[in-house]
Amino acid sequence: MTRLFAAELLKLRTIRVTWGFVVAVLGLAGLFAAGNIGSPPDGGRLAPDYQFKLVLTACLPAILLALLLGILLFTNEFRHGTISRTLLATPRRPVLVGVKLLTGVAAGLGLALLAVATTAVVAVIWLSVIDVPLELGDAAGGAWRGLVAAALIGALGAAVGGFVHSQVGALVGTLVWLFVAEPIVWVLLGLVDLGGVADYLPGVTVLSFADTEGENLSYAGTAGMAVVWTAVAAALAIWRTRRRDIT
Amino acid sequence: MIEVEGLTKRFGKTLAVDDLTFSVEPGRITGFLGPNGAGKSTTMRAVLGLVKPTSGRTSVLGVQYRDLPEPVRRVGVLLETFDAHAGRSGRNHLRVLALAGGIPRSRVDEVLGLVDLRDAGRRRVKGYSLGMRQRLGLAAALLGDPEVLVLDEPANGLDPQGIRWLRDFLRSLAAEGRTILISSHVLSEVAQTVDDVVIIHRGKLIRHAAMADVEAMAAGSTIVRSPTAERLAQLLAEAQIDATSLADGGLTVAGPPERVGEIAAEHRIVLHELSVERASLEEVFLELTGDPGERGA
Repeated sequence: MTRLFAAELLKLRTIRVTWGFVVAVLGLAGLFAAGNIGSPPDGGRLAPDYQFKLVLTACLPAILLALLLGILLFTNEFRHGTISRTLLATPRRPVLVGVKLLTGVAAGLGLALLAVATTAVVAVIWLSVIDVPLELGDAAGGAWRGLVAAALIGALGAAVGGFVHSQVGALVGTLVWLFVAEPIVWVLLGLVDLGGVADYLPGVTVLSFADTEGENLSYAGTAGMAVVWTAVAAALAIWRTRRRDIT
Repeated sequence: MIEVEGLTKRFGKTLAVDDLTFSVEPGRITGFLGPNGAGKSTTMRAVLGLVKPTSGRTSVLGVQYRDLPEPVRRVGVLLETFDAHAGRSGRNHLRVLALAGGIPRSRVDEVLGLVDLRDAGRRRVKGYSLGMRQRLGLAAALLGDPEVLVLDEPANGLDPQGIRWLRDFLRSLAAEGRTILISSHVLSEVAQTVDDVVIIHRGKLIRHAAMADVEAMAAGSTIVRSPTAERLAQLLAEAQIDATSLADGGLTVAGPPERVGEIAAEHRIVLHELSVERASLEEVFLELTGDPGERGA
């Protein structure tokens, strides 16, 4: 399992798309951090939870990109025909799904770490210039939440990829679900007085990780739902991957 | 050893493999032959656990592929479809496989050298020619120094020197007692390489025999030309050997050339030609598979 995991990480490191994600996270996290410091939200830079929100918000791109990178982890195998070689080395398909999920966790963690590090660099320099004291406890809380969120969402992405297999289908399907289908479901649930159920949908779960206003489930609840949805997607991924003939 | 027992595979309504049974022995190279679409690749993929049989079973080294410990070290595989990420370098492709298979990294450079790709190893695979891609696939198959090799159309894209190298290399591996199964849709391509042949058509076994037996099937009639062909025909008939006159005055004789020569010499008959008319291996192959129209389809 350790060898397979190391091989999956090497796969990620040796293709350009991964480095594209890294550059995107560095740029977007820097941009989010600069935006939040340059034009702070209500309450200003001295608000009690300002630095917590600063770090967590800067992790949002990493969380969303972790979902997409997780999807690519699995669907790249089918798109490039490498799945045959992968299954020859890992013939037990549920093991492969497990390794991919673990790699999704690692990829999510890596992207979130980059986001946290970028935010730290921007914040330390900028806040010290304008004499705003660093609140390490607050910032660490935001970083911790961002890391956990990206790790869970990376695994969820890998599970979705393992279920759908088609790269275009998985990427487009996920984005359509997040930004089109699920909002319609929210509305429909609201019409039948079941608006509370919407908090448990997968898209809300993903987006709730960056909810700094406490409008959705608690953070623990959100993480719990992420685990549930990942488990559901992983079960579907195992079912689909076991059945599929690699021709 | 590779065993296929009663293997049947259906894709929807299409019957790809039909109750196929054969085995591949250690120390021998077995050619797996059939026209395009005969079911060779499907059978190989079923052996390797990539395709789930509709019925029947397959095994490698006594167990199903998925139950093999360290499968990359035990079985080397080259599939017909290219299976490397185009954006990764050839060397990194092999590094990934080595890491997954628990194979030392030093082996990557060894096999790259073996297939003459050391200089191109750091280039991205998308820039490789067909022959280079095939050699990279062979390097991947050889990475674990496996005791069983399953190679689907290994000569595809190789130049004549490459094909000769492959032939000699496979022979040396077989001499070490390894089990080798190679597929091809051209009998003559593997005739000099294989010890045994398994010929299938439309998913069914047509023949499982030693290559020498197939070559014997190619032996045809004797052609003889003589200024006294009629006299020779009489003498052959007396010796109970059938001879038929050809339009150009020669004879086609249903007997070995040695016997024809002996009879001619005994009776001081001058011969202008004494030769064997052989059917080509391809003709034998087409006759066995019974459907020349499908070849190359």
